[in-house]
Formats: sequence, C-alpha cells, structure tokens
Amino acid sequence: MRRGDVGPAGGLLSAKMRTYGFIVSFLAIPLALYVVFVISPYIQAFYISLTNWKGISANPRYIGFENFGRLLDDEVFWAAVRHHGLLLLAMPLITIAIALFFSFLLNLGGGTGGGRLTGVWGARFYRVVYFFPQVLAVAVVGVLFQAIYRPDGTGVLNGLLAAVGLGPVGWLTDTGLALWAIMAVVVWQSVGFYVVLFSAGMSAIPRDVFEAAALDGAGRFRLFFSITLPLIWDTIQVGWVYLGIAAFDCFALVQVLSVDRGGPDNATTVLPLEIWRTAFTFSKFGYASAMGVALFFLTITFAALSLRVTRRERIEF
Amino acid sequence: MASIVLRNVDKIYAGGVKAVNGLNLEIRDGEFMVLVGPSGCGKSTALRMVAGLEDISGGEILIGDRVVNHLPPKDRDIAMVFQNYALYPHMTVEENLAFGLKLRKMPKAEISKRVQEAAKMLGLEQYLKRKPAALSGGQRQRVAMGRAIVREPQAFLMDEPLSNLDAKLRVSMRASLNQMHERLGVTTVYVTHDQVEAMTLGDRVCVLRDGILQQVDTPQNLFESPVNLFVAGFMGSPSMNFVNAELVRDDAGAAVAFAGYKLPVPDSTFAEKPGLDAYLGKKLILGIRPSDFEDAASASGHSGGWAHIPTRAEVTEELGSEINVLFLIDAPPVEHRDTVAAQDTGDDEEGVLPLVGDKSLWTARVNARSHVRPGQSIELVVDTHNFHYFDTDSGLAIGHPANVGR
Repeated sequence: MRRGDVGPAGGLLSAKMRTYGFIVSFLAIPLALYVVFVISPYIQAFYISLTNWKGISANPRYIGFENFGRLLDDEVFWAAVRHHGLLLLAMPLITIAIALFFSFLLNLGGGTGGGRLTGVWGARFYRVVYFFPQVLAVAVVGVLFQAIYRPDGTGVLNGLLAAVGLGPVGWLTDTGLALWAIMAVVVWQSVGFYVVLFSAGMSAIPRDVFEAAALDGAGRFRLFFSITLPLIWDTIQVGWVYLGIAAFDCFALVQVLSVDRGGPDNATTVLPLEIWRTAFTFSKFGYASAMGVALFFLTITFAALSLRVTRRERIEF
Repeated sequence: MASIVLRNVDKIYAGGVKAVNGLNLEIRDGEFMVLVGPSGCGKSTALRMVAGLEDISGGEILIGDRVVNHLPPKDRDIAMVFQNYALYPHMTVEENLAFGLKLRKMPKAEISKRVQEAAKMLGLEQYLKRKPAALSGGQRQRVAMGRAIVREPQAFLMDEPLSNLDAKLRVSMRASLNQMHERLGVTTVYVTHDQVEAMTLGDRVCVLRDGILQQVDTPQNLFESPVNLFVAGFMGSPSMNFVNAELVRDDAGAAVAFAGYKLPVPDSTFAEKPGLDAYLGKKLILGIRPSDFEDAASASGHSGGWAHIPTRAEVTEELGSEINVLFLIDAPPVEHRDTVAAQDTGDDEEGVLPLVGDKSLWTARVNARSHVRPGQSIELVVDTHNFHYFDTDSGLAIGHPANVGR
C-alpha cells in the first residue's frame, strides 16, 4: 500500500478487500465448476426423482414420492443395497488386513536379524509387483479375471482344481459365490495401493522407536500390534474411508465381469449399475434418479459416520 | 550389573567400509565409559553392536560372562537411551515407562512400584498421564532415561542423549547423569562427540578415530599425556597449540627452537619421556596446552621452568574468569593428518582467520586479571614442564608409555 493514498480507515478497508480479493480469485473458478457440474446435477436429480420423466418429454409430470414408494418394494434395489452393505463390511477389512500384512513384511518383516529392521528379501521388487494391478484398467482386469474364473476346465482356477481332481466351480455363475468372486478381484486390485500407502505411513515412524521396542523386549508380533498399528492408525482410517467409498461404486467391474451384468439373478448387482440400466436401458429417468438420491444419502451417511467414528487425537512424533 | 568386553570387534559395511576396526575394550563392572570421537569414527556403531542393533562382522562381545554376538537385543538385558529419545508417541509417560516391564510379564504391582520410583527420582510424577508430544525436550529426555532405569538392566547404553538439549539444560542434565550413575552404579557406555561431556562424565574415556581405538584412560590422563597428535588435538578446549620445532642442546642446556623462539627443556623432561634424547638435533612437533600459558604480569610468582614469550594479542576472548588470547606464531601451521582430523570436528570455536597466511594462530588461556586488549603487546610465560612432543611422521607422543618401543 502506498503511503498517503488513503486515510487509516480507507487503508484498512482496502487491505481487507485485497485479502478477500486474493482468496476469491483462487476460489471462484473451482467453485463455479463445482456448482455447475456437481451441485446443479444433484439438484436436478432431486427434482427428476419426483417426476416420471422418460428422458424425452420437455415437461415431465410431477408425481411426488411415488418413485420412492416403488423403490421400497423393489427387490432388485434391495439386493443391490445388501450387496453394498456386504462390500462395505468385508472389502475394506480384507483389503486393509492384507495390505497391512504385506507392508509390514516389506518394511519391517526382515526382523532385527540383519541388524537394522528391514523388509524381507526382495522387498523393492515385491512393492512394484503389488502395485501393478493398480495401474491396469478395470476393463483389462475384468477380461483377465474372466479367463481366471471361466467355469470349465480352461479357466485358470478350475484348471488347477481339475488337476487335483476337484470338479469345476462356477465362480461367477453360482449365486452364492459370484459376489465374493468379484469382491476378491476388487481386493486384488486395490491391495497394492494400500501397501504403498501403509508403507509410507510406516516409513514415517522413526526407526529408533522400533529399536527401542526391540530392546524393551518386543518380538515381531508385539512390534506390529503395539507399535506399528497404533502409529499408522491415521493412515488406516484414510484407507478405510477410501475403500468405503469404493464399496458404493464397483460399477465398472460388475459390468465387465459379472454374468448378465449384475447376474446371475441379480446376485452381484450394485446401485450404480441399476441406475445406469434403469435410465439408459429402460428409459425410466425419474425412477433412476430416485435410486441415485437413495445412493446419495447412503454415501453421505457413511461419510458422516466414518468421520465421526474415526476422529481421534492426532499422534505427534 | 556386568562388565562389557569387546574383543577384536570389527564392523564392515557393505562396500567394504570398516566402521569399527579391531576394537578391544574392557568396560568394568559399574564403570562409566565414554566413547568419544569425531562423527563417523565408529563410536555409535560400536555401541549399537553392544546393543544388538548392528551385526558384528568380526570378534566377540561379552556382557557379563556371556558371549552375546548372536543374542537378539531383548535377551542382552541392557537398556538404551537414544539421541532422539525414541519414546512411543502413542503412549503416556507411564505406559512408556511400563512397556518393557509389561513385555517381560512382570506382576502389575511391581511394575507400578518401579514406575513410581523412577518417576520420583526423575521428577516426572506430575507428567505420568501425558503423552510425549506434550513434554519439553528435557522432560522427554528424562522419560527416556526413566525407561532405561525401570528395567534395572545389566548396563545402560547411551547414544548422545544430551545432544538435542540446549546448552544450559545439557549442563544440568550432565550433573544429574553423574548423580544417577553414582546412585545406581550401573555399568554405562556413553557415546558423544563432545569432548567436554566426555571429560566431565567418564570414569574412563575411550577416544576413537576412523574405527580405530586411539587411547583409553581417565579424563585427566588423556588431557595430561595424550598418546598421539589426534588425541592431543581432540581433547581439551581450546585445543592444543602445535608447531614444527627442533630439539637442540647447547651450552645452556636443551631447548626447543621454533619461529625465532628458543624455549628451554628441563632435564626432568628427558627422564619422564624416554627416547626424547634421540630427537636432539632433529625435528619434532611441539604441543602446548593453552592453559599452560600465563600472563607474565599476573604470574610474577613463578620461578623455574617458565619461559617467556613476548608477543602481540590478535584477538581476545573474555570468558569472565579467563581470557583466551589468540596470537600469531611466525611458523606455518602444522599440517599433519592427525591435527587436521582433530580440528575438523573439534569445538571450532576458534574460527581460522583467513589473514593468518603462513603463520599459525595460537591460543593462550590467561587469568582474567590480565587486562590485555586486541592489538596490545603481551608478555606470556609458559610452563616448560608441560610441553608435549610428537614424532613428525607417526604423530605419536614421544616418551608416552604406550608408545615406548613402538
């Protein structure tokens, strides 16, 4: 600010404006984009969910909460919600457990035998290998696992089973098994990312803390549960939220991999897939929007809950 | 409690770097042994090998009567204090103290008794429920100490435990460390790069350089009769003054000649340092401690054995009780690998003046009553009994018991 330009009061005001102007200039564009491409479609979806719009007419008819009433009796919708519940419970748990196990081995599993705490032999190589599925496109993964899960002897898994004299298993065609088979693929694909995430968390723990624990008498088991786990708890929470959000999606993989898109007999269907099908195959945009609104509330409930539950005192090193 | 013995211990890192080279050291039961040396001298590596945090490449380490080479750290019955404290950040002070005891399946009552005792001794009672993040550096340091104490181990290993504290706290923690050792009497191995810490704490001090043991002795002996140029230059602050000199004998008796000065060498010196007479007429390196100087004006009472050095004070550092007088000697600085190595990591409080040229800058520590100012002429006297003589090639102290016949 140049001296003598303005009085003290004016100076204060313009300084304030300058500060806000600076902030606004940063916020304006992303905020505008967010409003146009996120908030406004949501609002539209809320409106469309209250109509019987088929995607053609310019003036859809307002039908109140009729769509939502139908949702309550829709078996397929509830099947999809159940699948999300299952994915939400099992998938993060399995993924995080496996990723923690691997990252502990890669970073500290070598033990103190070689002097300093190190990972198992070849840790760097394994880290790359674990991360590899993460960079594959979902479509590629889908095709890959179709080959693995093929129901006859030419499938990788059934081929192996046949070799030991067991009959073929309908991995994707058995209604009790299909969702688990797909969940296994999701886990397979995401573990690598969380190995990297948790490895970063573990390498942020000062080495001498582990050494002090080793001197205090902690074995590998204790080192993991009493030192490592509490100290990367923050990172695990982040992972859990990511995976929980991913559990509400799974659209692409189910679409590519499952029999009959969500089959057999809706045994693997998920809400995004149902929304897509209802809207673009059956042209029931109003009803699809109602599903979308339901999904919106499911997701936001999960996000609010997880933020509430996982809030904890931060650990400082 | 136990003694710790290192026998021909080697540490060779991948790539062939020898961090510790044939180290032989016996630490007696209850002794406070300080390992000191410039950074990279292998002192921390030696300590970590005793702890079991580093593999031993060669030789053997005994704690008590057990060879511990292949014992994991937890079975060596030792406790370690780390430079960065290494407290468990997610546990309270109490849990930090109790962790090692809990893992050893100690009964709860005994654990809480020991924790309370240690907390009382270290003044941590009101902090027991706090997490380390809510403690100051000094408090964290005491928790780290407490974690070692509650274990009641055979030996304490300390890896520069005071280096993260500010100067004042360091001095007071040094005193409490001394007290603690007095009280518990546990064998302690203490690693530091600070020679003041080494001198004040150690029952004995072990000076290491490039993984090789230089000298083990009491602080006083290290100061008074260093075994070589490196130890002489490393121990003591300000560090010892060196000059290339010649030992001569004429009608007036023996003398060292350098930079135009000719200082008499008392006959008793030749008796104390066998082999020194062989250097008559030859070059050697003369070392004089700054504290062996005095201002002639305020040291009038001294008689025999004091030689006069008239000079001009370039810089004076007033320390209150003493004054460091920096003055120039008309001789090039001694360029021996040992003095260079000792200077590198010495206390570097005397910055080398770029203007010195081919003269060497010496330091004399004189009484504060001498009101010498920079640029003034000063008549210094020096105690010729305390001269140190070193071989120009090997850098070994001439006539030191360890070097005789070497």
